[in-house]
Order: sequence, then structure tokens, then C-alpha cells
Amino acid sequence: MHRQQWFIVALALLAGSSAGAQGRPGKAGPTPPGKTEPARLGAGIETRTLKNGLKIIVWPDQDIPNVSLYNFFRVGSRNERPGITGLSHFFEHMMFNGAKKFGPGQFDVVMEAAGGSNNASTSEDLTIYMDWFPRSALETIFELEGDRLAHLSFDAKSIESERGVVYSERRSVVDNDNMGALSEQVQATAFVAHPYQFTVIGWPSDIESWRLEDLQRFFQTYYAPNNATLVVAGAVTPAEIFALAEKHLGSIPAQPPPEPVRTKEPEQQGERRVLVRRAAQSPLLEVAYHGMDAKDPDLPALKLLLHILAEGESSRLHRRLVEEEQVAIHITQMFSLTFDPSLVWFIVDMPPGVDVARVEKLLGEELEKVRTQGVTDAELRKAKNITVASFWRGMETNSSRAYHLGTYELFLGDWRQLFEVPTRYEQVTREQLRKVAQRILNPDHRTVGVLLPTEEPPAPASKKEAGR
Amino acid sequence: MSGGMGRTVLAALLVATVAGAQGAGAAEPKKAGPTQGIQLPRTTVIELKNGTRLILAEKHEVPLISFSAWLRGGALGEPQGKEGLASLTGQLLLKGAGKRDARQFAEAVDGVGAQLDVSPDREALRVEGQFMSRDQALMVELLSDLLMRPRFEAGELEKLRERLASELVSAKDGDPRSLMSLYFFAFHFAGHPYGRPVTGSEASLPTLTREDVLAYAKAQLGGDRLIFSVVGDFDTQQLARRLEAALGGWARAGAPAPVAPPTTVAKGRRVLLVDKPDATQTYFWLGNTGIARGDPDRVEVSLANSVLGGRFTSLLNTELRVKSGLSYGASSVVMRETQPGAVAIASYTKTESTGKAIDLSLEVLTRFRREGLDDAMLSSAKAYVLGQFPPQLETSSQLASKLAELAFHGLDSKDVDGFAAEVESATREQLRQVIQRVVPAPEDLTLVLVGKASAIRDVARRYGPVTEMKLSDKSFAPVAAPRR
Repeated sequence: MHRQQWFIVALALLAGSSAGAQGRPGKAGPTPPGKTEPARLGAGIETRTLKNGLKIIVWPDQDIPNVSLYNFFRVGSRNERPGITGLSHFFEHMMFNGAKKFGPGQFDVVMEAAGGSNNASTSEDLTIYMDWFPRSALETIFELEGDRLAHLSFDAKSIESERGVVYSERRSVVDNDNMGALSEQVQATAFVAHPYQFTVIGWPSDIESWRLEDLQRFFQTYYAPNNATLVVAGAVTPAEIFALAEKHLGSIPAQPPPEPVRTKEPEQQGERRVLVRRAAQSPLLEVAYHGMDAKDPDLPALKLLLHILAEGESSRLHRRLVEEEQVAIHITQMFSLTFDPSLVWFIVDMPPGVDVARVEKLLGEELEKVRTQGVTDAELRKAKNITVASFWRGMETNSSRAYHLGTYELFLGDWRQLFEVPTRYEQVTREQLRKVAQRILNPDHRTVGVLLPTEEPPAPASKKEAGR
Repeated sequence: MSGGMGRTVLAALLVATVAGAQGAGAAEPKKAGPTQGIQLPRTTVIELKNGTRLILAEKHEVPLISFSAWLRGGALGEPQGKEGLASLTGQLLLKGAGKRDARQFAEAVDGVGAQLDVSPDREALRVEGQFMSRDQALMVELLSDLLMRPRFEAGELEKLRERLASELVSAKDGDPRSLMSLYFFAFHFAGHPYGRPVTGSEASLPTLTREDVLAYAKAQLGGDRLIFSVVGDFDTQQLARRLEAALGGWARAGAPAPVAPPTTVAKGRRVLLVDKPDATQTYFWLGNTGIARGDPDRVEVSLANSVLGGRFTSLLNTELRVKSGLSYGASSVVMRETQPGAVAIASYTKTESTGKAIDLSLEVLTRFRREGLDDAMLSSAKAYVLGQFPPQLETSSQLASKLAELAFHGLDSKDVDGFAAEVESATREQLRQVIQRVVPAPEDLTLVLVGKASAIRDVARRYGPVTEMKLSDKSFAPVAAPRR
């Protein structure tokens, strides 16, 4: 993953993993003993911090004989600057291209031969490495992770080949995808100072020009144990994980903490607009408001508000734009946990030929309505139910348990907050939703992006050219 | 919204969907290697008088209940020219049923934080959902309403039909990867029901009327078509009583269940070139007809596919991504249904390297058929397939789908419980034979290319006779598609 939009989709589950642990009296189904309270759910979790600053969180669970290992690094496009945009994501790719004990290509070869698979993702704030493997591969996985963290190689040939891979990725998700193309422009327009303006996958000219020195400096600065958090969930014991981590990662030296990002986005003083013209059959509309950071006390209220506006077919925006006015195909809301205040998105897919200005006006009306009149009790109850169900959904797999623990640890400062979320969301009131709507859905704080089809599609190939 | 992660190889579809169940909740970490199998949960199976089959399995880890309802028929039951009718009918089931209109129905689902979706497939309509366990009674009520008492209101039908057509147009403005299978099936299986777009097309959707929907529902929906599995936090006896009371009275479908005619391997090569004039990258599938869901060699095919294109270090991804940097991903897929489905290579590359990437794919294919795999590759593939198996049956939703799918295809728990033993016992010689039989020969290939036709037309001609169409055409098949 490499763009905020995609990343938000994943995090939506997480922030949705909030919410009311209310039980409706008289409606309870059979409840097995001891398994369905958030606090008990995480009872086996243990943590340790190695001398070099690496924090480790372990959630043992024996449901299947498999393990998920997530290693979170505090680095993303937020830490970039013009000339090196996309570098965090590119570097994510380089982490698979060879080290000392396991040379080029061997990381994947060895891991798959041991029954494991892996992936990684980059967002504005984090780069996350994920391994999924049978318990029997545990030691191998730590060997592989230890080798690349201690001794990554920077081979010129690998860099060039990987540049082609990332460019292909960019072509698929931005250049040949209208939604991707528009989102990139909206993001770049909404921020004028803060590095959240950079597209996570990087601007084309930067993809073409990353240098070896950039990569080496990057590795030294950000891939230090004290800049990482390791989370393991599955068929393990905390003691064996701590021992393996000490053995394979314990000798990697800590580094001076990276320069903090000091830039704060100045308050937006009026709506911004961006128009993208491309070959298309359908127009697109995206409206992004400046939101809040992960630690903001209004965050649960905002998440609940967004559920009411655009989660499910009963949501306000779906009802109005898709069902009643029939001017949209889908409405998606997106908002993720981030270190600095990030955007709240409303993304509208429309049928061909629709009057985009009218759609924008209708969307604005609905948002204004919630600002002035707030929400109903039934809507608030629904939003809380959606979040509590999402919370449990997020507890079903080793992989999502590891992911959620890590994101709560990093963004809220303490993994225990994950289990407090149901209570925290249950306490939110209608008045808080009204206030958060007034604070966030301010027309002066929004960026409107419109993608319109070019008047005519690019000229078809001339016969001469085709016949050559 | 789609969204690949940083380095995902294209998802290897279906072949990997075999998968085992929970490891019976052992209290201690097992000294389990990839050699360890996993078992499906114990189920209670109940046949109702109307032919409905209920499959129930308790799983109490979290307070959720998941279900998977398969209604035999799907797009196979559509009349000619009415592509998308099963999909439209299926999705209308959620647009008002019983005492609730569309809005009230959506509010009932969202109000308790539930999920409820209809997935129309070629051979079945699937209704899948997940509710909090405390909402079990509501779940059964909504489900029986939508199956037995759908409203099919004219206004909702028109809205949905328009929307489905717009979704197709919108998808064409997005990442072409999402459309490749539609074009491939339409071209490769032209004239066979597997060639029909389950989504319908911009050409077929406007022709669908309420009469069509009512006729489809009468002929294709009914208690005898239903396989209904539930997994999660419930009491089996209590839920079984509820389901029997709610579904036992559903009448049988008006027509016999449709059956897919046999599919065949196509001889020779042909190319479909779909013009996307603004494309900077060419997306391609190369393939032929492979195996059926119940093929006795399906485990060996899974192993072979993981080596060819089913994992990151596969031969295809190694050549097209890792070594050459030509593409973000290259993979192979094996689609399995009651009749043999597609087996295909999928990748993409910048327009200028289209020929190079296709040539490289063909080289890999040729080499794989000629040389098969060595002992190290076999052993790695076995470990990989086994190691990645348990997480495919970790959640109640995954288990519910698997139980229903096995019952739909007349397979039993051995497909999961015996999987590990089958994988372990596979030999190189078996793999060699399976590769010869299932992996397409380079001279017998259907090729589908989506890209900038003016730039890649000559390249396309190198691989066989070319049929052209435009991405903006309102159907997924070229006008003069060869019939077989």
C-alpha cells in the first residue's frame, strides 16, 4: 500500500474497531464463558523493550498453528521532501532485495520454503512489514528479519530493477486509474506546507532519480530498532518471542532519534478546488476536509459521525445521493489514524453524464444539515453498533490482532487503548457529534476535486501508424 | 475500493482456496510444522423436507455469527441475451423484503452493525452475512424474508439496473486489472455459459425487465436450491430450530437446476486486443481451459500453480518482476467450477515493453512444461501451500463459505482434513503429468491484451490472429467473437 487512500481502507477497520460494548438486555444470544469481553480477550498479551530500544508486543493465541509478525517503522512520506518523494515506499521494496547472510532474492525464497509469506505497506506515517507463517518457521523468520535490519545491501542493479517495479505500480494505481489520479491531486492541493501533500508512491521525476546515498542515509536514520515496534500474534509464547528477538535483533545498535517533523499545516482560509481532465466515461468528485490527529479527543465522535454519513446503505449520503436523487453510484468516506492532522474524505462515484455541480451541492447540503441539526438517537445507536461489530471482526485473525495492537501502540501511544475503545465510543453523545461536525465540516477547510472527461477521447490510431 | 499492498503479487485465485479449519483450540503451542494438517470443525447437518440443507458449526471465540447461503443456479439460469439477470435479481433481494421496504431493510442491517451481501456467481447466487450473536433472531428473520418474501419493487429495480450499468462504466475508468477476467472469459468461453459476464454488460442490462426478474426468481429460487451454512457463537439446537421454522416452508424452485455443459481446451492461438487509447501500460492474460473443482489432481495442480505463478517467488514473478523489473506483478490463476474453468497467466507492463513481457511469459510457460520442477522447488511449494493453508480457514466467515462450497460441489471434509496428507505425498512425477495436462501449451493459447492499440497492434499480431474491440464498447465480447 502506498497511498493514503488505500491505507485508510485498512485503518477504517481499526478505527471502526472502536465502539460500544453495549448489550441489549433480553437480546443476548448464548455467550460462552470468558471469551467475549474485550479486556479478557487481550489477557495473555506481554511486552518487552530490548536494550537497543526495540519494543515487542506478543499476543499468544492457539486457534490455528500459525503466526503473524508485524514490524512497524515510524517512517513514511511525512518524512520526505521534494526530490525524494516516494522514497519511503521505494525503500520498503528494497528491504526485500538482499542482505549479508541471505543475498538477493533469498529473503522470499527462504521464507516461502519455510511455509511463510510476506508483504509490506507504506503510508504517510508508517512503513509496516508483515510476515505470515506456520509456527515451525519462527526461528527462520527472525533470522531473516535480523539479517536485513543489521546488514541490508544496496546493490545498484537491484535498485534499477526495483525502480521499474515501482513505476509499474504507479502506472496501475495512479496513471491508469482515474480515482488514483484525482486523489493524488486533491491531497497535493489540500496541504500547502505539511509533507502530507506528497503522494506516497512518489512523483514520477522523483521515482526516476532516487540515489544510492539517499537510500543509505534513509536506512541509517529510520531503520533503527528504537524507531520500530514489533508485534507478534498467534501460536507462540511471549517468552520464546522475547528470546528470539534478543538473539536475532538485540545486537543491532540504536541510532539517534530522527529529526521530528515540525511543520504544522496552517489553517485553511477558504475552499480550494482542483480540476483534473482525463479520458473517462464518468466524472468523479472528491471532497476532503482537514481533520485531526489520532490522539485528538474528538476522534471517536468523528468516526461515529462518518459512519452515520456514509457507512452502509442506510447512511445519510447513500440515501440522498444514491437512492433518492440517483446522481451517484457509491459514496465512500475515509479517515485514518495519523500522527498529524490528516484529511476526512468523501469520494463520490457518478454515472456518466451527471451534473457534477449538482452532486456537489447535494453533498454540501447534507453535510450542512448535520452541522446545524446534528444526528438522531437512532443514528448514534447504529453507529455505535457498527463500531462494536467491527471491533470483534478485527479480533478474528492473528493478522488483524497484530495490526490493531501495533497501530494503537503507535498512534495512541499504548496498545491497551485498543481494548478501551468500546467503552470510549459508548460514552460519545449526540452533542459531541454536533460539535465535531461543526468543527470538521467547515466549508472553508475543504478541498474539492473534480475529474471531468476530456471533451473527446484521444485521437484513435491513424491507419498509417497501425499498418506500419 | 481495491488497493494492492506494497509488493503483493497478483492474487492467486481459487486454487489456494482449499484450506483447513481451526486446530481444535489446543491450549499449548503445537510443535507443528508445515506437515501438520488442520481439520474442519464438527458440523451438524440437517436436511429439511423441501430439500434445503443446513450445516451448522459452533465457534465461540468472538461474539459473531457468520453464514453463507448458496443458491444453485446463478448466471447459468439466465436466458440468452439476459446477461446480468441473476445478478440483478440477487441484489434486489436486499432491496425490500417481508414487511420492510428497501430503506427499512438497510436500516435493520446497519442498525445492528451487521453485514449482509449478495454475490452473484456463474453457478450460484451466494448470500453471505455476519451478525453479532445477540442479533441471531433478527438475522434469521431478515434472511428468510429476503429469500422467501422479496418485494422486487419496480422503482428499486430500475434504480439498481441503472446503477449496475454505471458501475461497469466506472470500472472502465479505473484500474484495468479488475476487468481482465471478464474479457478473458467472454473471448475464451464464447458461446458457453462460462463466457457470459455475471455482472451483465452495458448492452444487456437495459433490456432487463421486472417480468424477467419475476420469471427468474420463480424458476431459479427455492428451498431445494439452498445450501445454508452457519459458523459462530450460537447454540446449535436453538439455531437449527429457528432455521427450520423459518426456511422449512420455502417452496421448491419452478425449474430444474441448470447444469453447465462441458468445456473444452481450445486449440491454436487467438488474440483479443481491447483498445484503451490513453493507457500507458498493457494488461494481459494468456491462458486456456484447465480443471474442474472436483478434479482428482486438484492438490497437485495447486502445487504446480504455486510454482508457476501462485506466490512471490514463482517462476513468473521472478522473471517479470524480480529479475527484469518489467512489472509490479505476474501471476497465474486456476479457476475451478463444476466444469473446467480458466487457467491463465496475468501480468502487465509499460506499453513499450509489451512484447518483451509476453515473450518472457511464454518462455516461462514453455520451460515449465518442459522441465517441470526440481526437488527443492517441490519441497518449497509443499511447505508454502501447507503453511499458508490454516489462515484461509481462520474466521467464522471463511469456515461458513468453505462448508457451503464443499456441499455445493458434492465434496466432503476430506478436501480440507486430508489436504496436508495429499500435499505431502505428491511426487515430482505426478506433478510432471499434471503440468502436461493442465498448464496450457504455448501453441494453444487465448491471449487478451488491454492497452493502447495504436502502439501495440503490431506486437499483438505476433501471437496469433487478432480480434479488436474498444474498452468503451458496451459488451465484453467482440462483435464477431468466434463461436465454439
